[in-house]
Amino acid sequence: MKGGGAKILRKKYRDPQHLHPVVNTIISVLLGILAVMCIFPFIYVIIISFTSEESIVRNGFQLFPKDWSIDAYHYLWGMKAQFFHSYGVTIFITIVGTIISVFMITFYAYAISRPQFKYRRFFTFLAFFTMLFSGGLVPTYIVVTQFLGLKNTIWALILPLAMNAFYIIIMRTFFLKSVSESILESARIDGASEWRIFFQIIFPLSLPGIATIALFSTLGYWNDWFTALLYIDEPNLVPLQSLLMKIEANLEFMRQNMDVAIMQQSLFDTIPQESAKMAMVVIATLPIAVSYPFFQKYFISGLTIGGVKE
Amino acid sequence: MKKRLMLLLAFVLTIGTILSACSGKENATSDKEGKDGQPYEIKWYTIGTPQKDTAKVFEEVNKYLKEEINATVKMTQIDWGDWAQKSQVMINSGEPFDIIFTNGTEYVQNSQKGAFLAIDELLNKEGKELKEAIDPSLLEGIKIDGKIYGVPTNKEAARQTVYTFNKRLVDKYNFDISKVQSLEDLEPMLKVIKENEPSITPMATFKAYLPFDYVFNNEMPFAFAIDGDREHVINQFESDLAMQTYKTMHNYYKAGYLKEDAATSKDSWPMDVENWFVRMGDSQPYADALWSRAAKYDVVSVPAEEPTTFNDSVSGSIQAISATSKNPEKAMGFLNLLNTDPYLRNLVDKGIEGVHYEKNEDGTIKDLPARIERYNLPTYSLGNHFILNLYENDPKDKWEKFKEFNEAAKPAPTLGFHFNSDPVRSELASITNISKEFYPALATGSVDPEEYLPKFNKKLEEAGIDKVLKEIQKQFDEWKSKQK
Repeated sequence: MKGGGAKILRKKYRDPQHLHPVVNTIISVLLGILAVMCIFPFIYVIIISFTSEESIVRNGFQLFPKDWSIDAYHYLWGMKAQFFHSYGVTIFITIVGTIISVFMITFYAYAISRPQFKYRRFFTFLAFFTMLFSGGLVPTYIVVTQFLGLKNTIWALILPLAMNAFYIIIMRTFFLKSVSESILESARIDGASEWRIFFQIIFPLSLPGIATIALFSTLGYWNDWFTALLYIDEPNLVPLQSLLMKIEANLEFMRQNMDVAIMQQSLFDTIPQESAKMAMVVIATLPIAVSYPFFQKYFISGLTIGGVKE
Repeated sequence: MKKRLMLLLAFVLTIGTILSACSGKENATSDKEGKDGQPYEIKWYTIGTPQKDTAKVFEEVNKYLKEEINATVKMTQIDWGDWAQKSQVMINSGEPFDIIFTNGTEYVQNSQKGAFLAIDELLNKEGKELKEAIDPSLLEGIKIDGKIYGVPTNKEAARQTVYTFNKRLVDKYNFDISKVQSLEDLEPMLKVIKENEPSITPMATFKAYLPFDYVFNNEMPFAFAIDGDREHVINQFESDLAMQTYKTMHNYYKAGYLKEDAATSKDSWPMDVENWFVRMGDSQPYADALWSRAAKYDVVSVPAEEPTTFNDSVSGSIQAISATSKNPEKAMGFLNLLNTDPYLRNLVDKGIEGVHYEKNEDGTIKDLPARIERYNLPTYSLGNHFILNLYENDPKDKWEKFKEFNEAAKPAPTLGFHFNSDPVRSELASITNISKEFYPALATGSVDPEEYLPKFNKKLEEAGIDKVLKEIQKQFDEWKSKQK
């Protein structure tokens, strides 16, 4: 795939990095500032997670806290049962979900990208239609809980997110663009079945596109908390982000219902302190931040939904 | 074209068949329950963090219920923060269940929408004992258009706002807090604290309290006076009291008695760090003891108003029967037992004796670690308080004091009146936004009320407050004429 990237560069024949030095400096500084602005909140979160609780209550959040402490991580270790369980759920749904989602999307997209497929316009429209008009929250909930009976199962976290019309359209364009019909034709003449064509020709040729979709799905599953909010009551099935949201939402509830909160001391006990929340954010975000560079190389070949002339 | 249409039709039909097949099956199975002598399973959704020992405790509960009313209960807890959104989706989707916790405006809206059953008749049949056990003002207060849509928790029916002080500092400087009646009375104490206690914020962030009966909440400009003219709705922000109170608050703010970020801060002021001198809160009998226990140092309160029964104080915790319930009689039977049978009530609330709590010889109880760790239910949301076992450090007369408190309270002008906001929805939306903008800054004293209160009121006028006031007055008069 590196060859493909190089070819695009050569076609443009001008080194995009070759700018006037002044312009180059200005742009570099601006982008540098932007990058710091993006990274800074996360660094701040890390600092707060290492601040002692007493210091937060008295002085608020500080960039250079007076007292450092690892109590927050100690606290997380204390609730490790729920925490690691949720971690496991998240990893499971991310891996399984991404695999299912990639296959469903590529299958669908491949079918509607082939001119021989008679109903491709109909199925393209079917996918496209859902982008314009979605059923809405309540009908979705009815389908998932009452018709499919997925409530309180791990599938409720996976299946509702598996298909995504937008990704299907992206993949369809990618297939149309990156796989020429003549390759497929020659494969057919050689007697390859549709499955063989898909897995041995289409799949390797479209790897950048598929990797992109896979990354989108991975991020989608990793960051998803809303499906769990709707469909999961069992503490055993609560994913990590949902756990974080729950803590945040419980805190919000407490702020708005101080009388209930004060009468109900247990509420306070279930809610970690400020620094512990930040520590959870750190632990929840790091893996996905670390995995990003592995996907990143595929982005070089870029994504288009249309409009590119060969 | 024709072909494509056929295909679409076929597709829709297939999906339709599959779906109806699925739902048909479910109906068949759940209808069977409850007949043929099978115990009916009551689906109960209530608020709170799901607990580890719920299944264990409800095994005991179900053993008892099978004998008493030939039913079992499946209780599902929904976490505090998830509650509002999740319960609303469940109700809107018509999910079949029997009993659900509800409160406040959600209770009113869902009842008006028909999501809950009106239980007046059920109360007379399956809920006879229950009806007798509950404070009549609670049942009166949650009536909507003359009908009762849920079983309120029998507890404090009144609300009383108090000033709560940090007792250590009160003792240290020999303050006489018994004379405190208004915000202005706090001034000399705040000054002493500010000068002598650098690590203490004199006032924990709170929003100055205006004693009115609010149609929505204290942010919204629709209120009835509690004393004086109880017949007419007004904009409380136009009252002299508002100006005076906010002026005092602004002086306090300028003097540095409040944190600078008071208006924007969303942080609750937790009691567990002792860095405040005075705060405001809603009280109930023996609240100080409760708060002191939570804070781990002593606090002491003085009332800022007489106890009054408000709509929101009676609708703070209600168990409603869903309109989708397949067996409302059984659901009511269960609620009846839950609110009148001490064994069941204590079992649901405190868990299993010997596992989650221990009973002393005098009948008082003591939590075991398992109750805190594995079965910590929110008592207020479940049912009748007055048949609960007392803790060993509870005052012996705790429930009597609650009953006295309820009896001493006088009803608010709008007790039992629920405004239907449909006719003025768009005005209310913009008024809500304006209130959100002005109220926090004014009530925490962050801005000068001389300048901002008139601005606030002017904007409210532009947003159509008069129309809303008129509508409230109209509905209130109609409601009033139906009373008696």
